[in-house]
Amino acid sequence: MFFKKGSTVVRRSGRLLNWTNHTCFIIPEYVNKKIVEKGTKKQKEQAWKNLILTEQLRGRRLVTGLMSSMFSVSNRLERTIFDAKNSENLPGTLVRREGEKAKGGKPVTEAYDYSGSTYNLFREIFDRNSIDTRGMKLDSTVHYGDDYNNAFWNGTQMVYGDGDGDIFQRFTKSIDVIGHELTHGVTQYEAALEYEGQAGALNESFSDVFGSLVKQYSLKQKVDKADWLIGSGLFTRKIRGSALRSMKEPGTAYDDPIIGKDPQPGHMKDYVETTDDNGGVHINSGIPNRAFYLIAKELGGYAWEKAGKIWYLTLTERLRERSDFQKAAESTFQVARNLYGEGSHEEDAVKQSWNLVGIKIKSKR
Amino acid sequence: MIIKVERSGGLVGLHTSTEIDAKDLPPQLITKARKIINAKISLLPRKAKPIGSADHYSFKISIHDSKRRKVFECTQYNIHDDLKSLVNYIEKNSKKVKLKDASFKP
Repeated sequence: MFFKKGSTVVRRSGRLLNWTNHTCFIIPEYVNKKIVEKGTKKQKEQAWKNLILTEQLRGRRLVTGLMSSMFSVSNRLERTIFDAKNSENLPGTLVRREGEKAKGGKPVTEAYDYSGSTYNLFREIFDRNSIDTRGMKLDSTVHYGDDYNNAFWNGTQMVYGDGDGDIFQRFTKSIDVIGHELTHGVTQYEAALEYEGQAGALNESFSDVFGSLVKQYSLKQKVDKADWLIGSGLFTRKIRGSALRSMKEPGTAYDDPIIGKDPQPGHMKDYVETTDDNGGVHINSGIPNRAFYLIAKELGGYAWEKAGKIWYLTLTERLRERSDFQKAAESTFQVARNLYGEGSHEEDAVKQSWNLVGIKIKSKR
Repeated sequence: MIIKVERSGGLVGLHTSTEIDAKDLPPQLITKARKIINAKISLLPRKAKPIGSADHYSFKISIHDSKRRKVFECTQYNIHDDLKSLVNYIEKNSKKVKLKDASFKP
């Protein structure tokens, strides 16, 4: 469906049709974002206008704040921690800025330290300057809501609840959860995977993968020493469970009378069709999670060195909004071939690992 | 009047379902529940979730009495204030009020 506004026609998909001097051209949203990021001043201005118009028509006003950060470039880590004081008002009261001494209690310290660990992994291993490649400030809010059992990325910042103390403890406790949330920001600026169905499950899986790598990198752990758990230690002692998810053995993270059993599949034959959870984005992510674990295990050493590199390049250079598991598998295979050569052990490990979770690589040698 | 709150998503991805009889609510929330079920216009603001957002909650809230039934599907970003106060109370007090069902189902 198309809507007319002034001289611009916009399609529901979010793609923009600009009419200039009787010429019609289509500019996908991600292209506009790239132009804002990397274009000339004049190109940036036009792309910026396009994005604002698109978002206004969609009713998404928050993009303005999100995109404005792209105009400034910083080459250093810049963290800011806020305290919502158990309200749901964001960002809350400023508690700690970059470089200031620890203050404000454990959640503030954890949000500060672990967002720094996440920045370091992306900077030191993948040569990435923060979430947006331009030094975007890492804003976090702690003490969000009342007994709030969640952590989330709202498109511009990270938000952490304290947990209810009954089922969950504070969500800043787990370094991989903080890495997970920040990686949603990276995905937003790169593949921009839709948060629905298989694309959404890939979005979740990339966050789990890099969340786990943040933990492994900070502990300098090799593949065989890592726990491959997401959210280890978040459950209280009342709950029978070790973590929220297991990348090594999806479906085994918890089994408890109150919260039930971990529903994650580790193979396509167990793929869950559901309308809950945006089409099971936190459920079916178990499949690509396990594929990553298997590849990392096969390649050995530090997981961020080879498997992590393949995944990072796939996320930043190969995938798009609606990519599915098959596309992700083919892309990792191609990236492994480009990096390590045709017929290499790495290329074969990628192929075999996806095969073990029920996805056959179709690309030919 | 019965109010059922189903929540899915979040970082954990758990599905929770809580049902309550409106007579167990505080008076001001009973008024809000009546206002919601009697409303003739949509109570959900036309506001999409922010670009790139993840791990947010989605809600399905059903309110019904002997004559009417209304179902609202929304996220934490576009939930109406009155619905939000009902959800917050029901989820926070689910152990204090009489529940017909309060279970997590994966």
